[in-house]
Amino acid sequence: MRELFALLEALCAAPGVSGTEDGAAALAAEELARFCRVRCDALGSVIGTREGRGAHLLLDAHLDQIGMVVTGVEDGGFLRVAKCGCMDLRVLAGQEVLVHGSETLFGVIPAQAPHLSEKDEEAPDWDALCVDIGCTRERAQRLIPLGSRVRLRPAVRRLGKTRLTSPALDNRAGVAAVLRCLELLQGEETCPLTVLFSVQEETGGVGARAGGFAVAPEEALVVDVSFAQGVGVSSGEAQGLLGGGTMIGVAPGLDLEISDRLFGLAKEHGIAHQTEIMGGRSGTNADFLQGAGRGIPCGLLSIPLRNMHTGAELAALTDIEATAQLLAAYARERGRLG
Amino acid sequence: MNFAWLERLCSCGGISGREDAVRGLIISLLPQDAAHETDPLGNLIVTKPGAARGGKRVMLCAHMDEVGLIVTEVTGDGFLRFAHVGGIDRRAYLGKAVLVGRRALPGVIGLKPTHLVEGDQKKAVPPQESLAIDIGAASKEEAQALVSLGDAVSFAPGFVRFGEGFIKSKAIDDRFGCLVLLELLHEALPYDLTAVFSCQEEIGGAAGAAAYRLAPDAAVVVETTTASDLPGFSGAERVCSLGGGAVVPFMDGGAVYPFHLYARTMALARERGIPVQTKTKIAGGNDARAVSASRAGIPVVAVSLPCRSLHSPSTVMLESDAEAVYALVRALWEDLSA
Repeated sequence: MRELFALLEALCAAPGVSGTEDGAAALAAEELARFCRVRCDALGSVIGTREGRGAHLLLDAHLDQIGMVVTGVEDGGFLRVAKCGCMDLRVLAGQEVLVHGSETLFGVIPAQAPHLSEKDEEAPDWDALCVDIGCTRERAQRLIPLGSRVRLRPAVRRLGKTRLTSPALDNRAGVAAVLRCLELLQGEETCPLTVLFSVQEETGGVGARAGGFAVAPEEALVVDVSFAQGVGVSSGEAQGLLGGGTMIGVAPGLDLEISDRLFGLAKEHGIAHQTEIMGGRSGTNADFLQGAGRGIPCGLLSIPLRNMHTGAELAALTDIEATAQLLAAYARERGRLG
Repeated sequence: MNFAWLERLCSCGGISGREDAVRGLIISLLPQDAAHETDPLGNLIVTKPGAARGGKRVMLCAHMDEVGLIVTEVTGDGFLRFAHVGGIDRRAYLGKAVLVGRRALPGVIGLKPTHLVEGDQKKAVPPQESLAIDIGAASKEEAQALVSLGDAVSFAPGFVRFGEGFIKSKAIDDRFGCLVLLELLHEALPYDLTAVFSCQEEIGGAAGAAAYRLAPDAAVVVETTTASDLPGFSGAERVCSLGGGAVVPFMDGGAVYPFHLYARTMALARERGIPVQTKTKIAGGNDARAVSASRAGIPVVAVSLPCRSLHSPSTVMLESDAEAVYALVRALWEDLSA
C-alpha cells in the first residue's frame, strides 16, 4: 500500500459528495481489494470481507464528504447552490470549488471586495451565494445538470512533520485508517472481518443503516473524525487533542464492553489514545448502525480534527496511525478469543 | 498577453513593504536595453530608450505589493496571531491556506466548527483578533523556531485558467499592472519609456517619491478595480463588468481625475475600437492619489482591469479585458508622450 500521506492525498482528491460517491468508492475499493474480497452494495457503499474465527466484526468508515448541490443557473452562467451535508457558510467566500457536471469544471465562489462592503461581520446566506464558472448561461446549462454536486477543490498540504490539511479529511482520514489496519493485519489470524465504506453519512447515515442490515455483524467499530481543540475551540468545547492519539468514544449509545476492551488494548500495546465522552448520540454512523437489523453493539474510534467541514480541515498522521493500530489490535484480540 | 508571466508574478509573495521577491522577478524579466534603479523606498524605476524622445515625459506606474497579513504574536499553543496589511474582508480568508515568512511555510486560517456554534451565530464571522494561523506546530517553541514576529503572510498561490477565458489567482492586484508595463518594455517603442513598479500601494503608497524623483508631465496608473457584476447586483451597484473592457474612472475613493484626461482617454479608446467602461461607484483608490499630489501636482489618469473578488485569494479576471487594458495603455501613453 502507499505510504499513509500519499494514500490520504489520493483519497482526499477523489470526488464523493454525499449521494455521488462513485469516484471515492472506486479508489477505496481498489485499495481495499489488495487485502480482501470487495463488492459494492445497491447504494454504492464499498464492502470488503476477510475470513477469520470468532465474532463477526464490522469496521465502518463513511466515504462521503460534505459539499453543495446545484439548484439553478443565472445569467452570466453563475450557479446557484444549496448545501449537501452540514456545509459551513462562513468559509465559502473566495472558496475554490470543483463542479461535477457532465464535465468537471473549476469554479470560485465570489468574495465581496472590502472596498464595496461596509461590514464583514456576517457571512452571506445561501440565497446570496453563487459559483462563478466563467462561462455563458447556455454553456453552463449544457454542462451542469441541476443536482450536480460541487465540492471544495482538493489541496492536500503537509504542515510540519506529522500534520496535514485538506478538504474531505472528514472522513477520508477514517477510510485511510481502516485501509492501514488491513495492511497491518495481512497474513495474521483475526476474527471474521467486514469493512464497510459507507455512503451518505453526512446526509443522514443511510449507507451505514443499509450496510449494517446486510452485513449483520455481531459487533461494529465505527471510525470517524471528531473535534480537536484549536483556535477558538477550548477544552470545554472539544475534548480531542491533535496529536494526542485515537479518541476512544464513551457514550450511552456505545457498547461499554467494547469501549473497555479498546482502552485495555490501547494500554496493553502502548497505543496513543484519549477519551471522548458524549452525553447522547455520537453524531457518527454508530447512531445508525446500532439500530440496523436486529441491533449491533458499536464502539467508536475518532481521529481528532480541526476546522471540521471547511477547506482547512487539519489532522495528525500519528493519530490516524494510532487509530489503525488500535483497530488491528482489536481484530487480533477478537480472533484469539474466537 | 503573456499569461505565463502573469502566473509567475501572481504566485510570488509580496505584501506591502516586502516587495523584494517581486522586484527581483521583474528585474529578471526586463529586456536587455532597459536600465533600472531602485529608489530608497524600494520603488523600481525602469527606463528604456525609444526611437525619439517624446514631447512630454509620461510616467507609467503599477504597484508590486499585494494585500496580506503580518504575524503579531505566537500564542501559547503555537498559533500565529496576525494583523491585516491593506484592506481585507476577513470572510475571504476564513478556511483558506496561507504561506508564512521567507520560508513560505504553509498554514491555514481555521475557525470553530459550525457544529459547535449556536444556531443564531452560524453566519457570524469571528472577530479578527480571535483568529490565528495554524502552521501545524505542536507548541509555542516549535512555532517560534520557524516564525518571527513581523513575518509576512500571503495567500497561498493558486493560478487557474478556467471557463471561457477567465483567470483566478491571488495578487492580480496589481501584478497584472506590472505585466502590462513589462510587456510594453519589451516592445519597439516610438518614445523613451519610464516605468515605475511601486511599493506599498495597499497601505497608502510610496509612488509619490518616485514621481518626485522623475518629475513627469503626466502619469498613467495601470491597475485593477472592483467589479461586482454578480447575481443580485444591478445598475450602478455592479461598479463595472468583466467583458466590458478597460475601466477608466473619473473619480474613485482616492482621487479625482482631471476631467479632460478622463474624456481624452475614453475618446481615444472609442476611436481605436478598444472596449472601455467607467466605474459607476466612487470606491477604491490607487497610486493616483500619491502621484497627483507629488511636486506641484501631476495630472494622472488610471486604466484598470475589472476584477471580481479583489483583495481575496480568489480574484477573477477575463483575458479579453486584459488585452483591452494593454491596448489602451499603449495608445494612451503614445498619445500623451507625443
